[in-house]
Amino acid sequence: MAPVRFGANAAPADPGPLRADEMTGDGPLLRASGLGRRFRRLRALGGVDLELGSGEALALLGPNGAGKTTLLSILAGLAEGYEGQLEWRADVDRIGWVPQRPALYGRLSTRENLELFAKLERRDEPDAVAAELIERADLTEFANRRAATLSTGTLARLNMCVALAGAPRVLLLDEPTATLSPDQRRRIWSWLGALQEEDGLALVFSTQLVGEAVAEADRLLVLAGGAPVFSGTGDDLTARADDAAGPLAAEQAFLDLVDAE
Amino acid sequence: MRSILLLLGKDLRLLARSPVQIVALIAYPVVVAALVALALQGGGEQPAVAVVNLDDPGRTVSVGGERFSVDDYVARLDEEVDVIELGPDEAQDALEAGRVSAILTIPDGFIGNLQSGFTPPTLELETSRRDPIESEEIARRLEAAVFRFNQALAADYVTQVLQLVDLVIDGGTIGVFGRTGVALGLDSTRDIILGVQEALRAQGDDQLADELDPLLLFVDQTEGNLGLARPAATALASPIELSIQESDDGREPLSALGVAAALLVSLGLAGVLLAAAGIAGEREEHVLSRLRRGLVSPMSITTEKIVFATAATLVIGLALLAVVAGASSLAVGRWGLWVTALLVTGLGFASFGALIGAAARETRSALLAALMLTLPLLFIGLIPGDIAGGIAAAVPFGPALSAFQSLLAEPTVPASFAVDLAHAAGLAVAFAAAATLVLWRRPQ
Repeated sequence: MAPVRFGANAAPADPGPLRADEMTGDGPLLRASGLGRRFRRLRALGGVDLELGSGEALALLGPNGAGKTTLLSILAGLAEGYEGQLEWRADVDRIGWVPQRPALYGRLSTRENLELFAKLERRDEPDAVAAELIERADLTEFANRRAATLSTGTLARLNMCVALAGAPRVLLLDEPTATLSPDQRRRIWSWLGALQEEDGLALVFSTQLVGEAVAEADRLLVLAGGAPVFSGTGDDLTARADDAAGPLAAEQAFLDLVDAE
Repeated sequence: MRSILLLLGKDLRLLARSPVQIVALIAYPVVVAALVALALQGGGEQPAVAVVNLDDPGRTVSVGGERFSVDDYVARLDEEVDVIELGPDEAQDALEAGRVSAILTIPDGFIGNLQSGFTPPTLELETSRRDPIESEEIARRLEAAVFRFNQALAADYVTQVLQLVDLVIDGGTIGVFGRTGVALGLDSTRDIILGVQEALRAQGDDQLADELDPLLLFVDQTEGNLGLARPAATALASPIELSIQESDDGREPLSALGVAAALLVSLGLAGVLLAAAGIAGEREEHVLSRLRRGLVSPMSITTEKIVFATAATLVIGLALLAVVAGASSLAVGRWGLWVTALLVTGLGFASFGALIGAAARETRSALLAALMLTLPLLFIGLIPGDIAGGIAAAVPFGPALSAFQSLLAEPTVPASFAVDLAHAAGLAVAFAAAATLVLWRRPQ
């Protein structure tokens, strides 16, 4: 099985193919082992193993500099010269990328942005694609507004819609709610949850918010100092807390893990 | 190709919805071109030139019956430049201080050599290094003055030669080239021979008188031949006469250099700034990481920005040329070659700008870097000389200026025009490749 291609200029450097029977049918969409990256002498990331199932949400949790964005960049095909093996399932032909800062044209309207990226993604009927995304993301009243004039929360939704214009099976999100208020955050997650449920969209998102990771992700990968220190469900993380209970338990467990590292 | 067209459509749409940007895009190069052209025209003022007279100022010579002094010569120069008569040291100080743009030295013995006609008198011109363009203008003006004076002198010398011819025919006393003398003359010679023949025949010596007939024939033939010398010498003094009639259509006279420089500065700035801002703008919008993920390759992004900036420079360049053709006395013409030249040089400017834009983190720093690099390189391109020429040849501005000048000044397009375009095209490819590489290495 050939690895998924991100484009002529962004193919994984040396994915080291896994056995094809492990990556077909209902197998994981993504399987990676020993992922890492160095910036000259600095090791930014190392020893990451992970899997991602269809419709699954994986949270990359960690403090600043933990390696979350580096790992997402590798998965998105934006990193040159990474270490380890990375394999996407054959039917994963597009992967949506949602960078932390909105990546779209501020002087184009919401509709124009979506139509342009749908055309660049070579979608049939790009106008219809844009219209559907506008409706699903509840952007109708902002359809003809220039992106630069949108509020932070609306812009975050448009940023995700642009990534969805290529009809991806997997969405990679770099701290998608970092700048949003709690109500905007809830709205975003409600919408992403619907996409998971209705379209089987798989999510990999980075966050520094423990509560958000526990609430929204099926599994968590905690990174500290460029290395994985925990992998499991939110309940598994909460159970590690020795001297805290309730909502604070997961946060306490996370801090213990990071401090230990 | 499809992705390039989509991005091109996006950029054109953004441009079209910003009237201020369109006006700025057209007005800025036009204003820059007008200012550069006016500056190089010099406002019609004559350049100041120090004249150092090392010859005897009171000495006069007679050429063709007309008396000349050094002062007369200086007065003729004053028609071309603003003459300031100074001593040698004062002139040097004035040149160094920038009060004059050149020193013209009339050496000792100048008038003597002029009178003798044996050694051509020589003038020495020292120009300032401060302003090579003005120095070139002064040299051109003084060459014109010397040419006109030489023409007048040649006419005077011919007058003297014809006076000698008259002397040979008529005889008498004359002073030419500083010498005086008495000549018998052909007419007197004929009278003498006729008188001798008459006396011989009166003495009955007809045979001896007849033997003098060949002498009479010689005198007649010589006189006839010398009669032809007048029109021949006149033609020699002024083989071609130029009749100049100033046009009264009210259009401003512009020099080819001025227009070429104006085109270079305005199009160079427009092309470089547009391409640099275009690529840096994509980075500033953070879309590069999204585009690079299989949507648009770095080469396509670079190509699209270069095509966009080149198309803009072509439109601006043709508009400027149309203004020049309509409002000035300079003949433009050769529009097919102009389109080719503007396209190729525009590609060079835009590729240079693309490299700057690819290396910059955001639009403002890209524009600042583009201005800081482009302005000095543009003006270095206008300075004649090996070092400045070498620097200008490493960027598209050198070949562009040369190509523009060829089309504006040369009556037939020289072979160097094609070389200049090939040079600009080569630089465009090199800068575009470098911009693509930088974009590929720095995707975000």
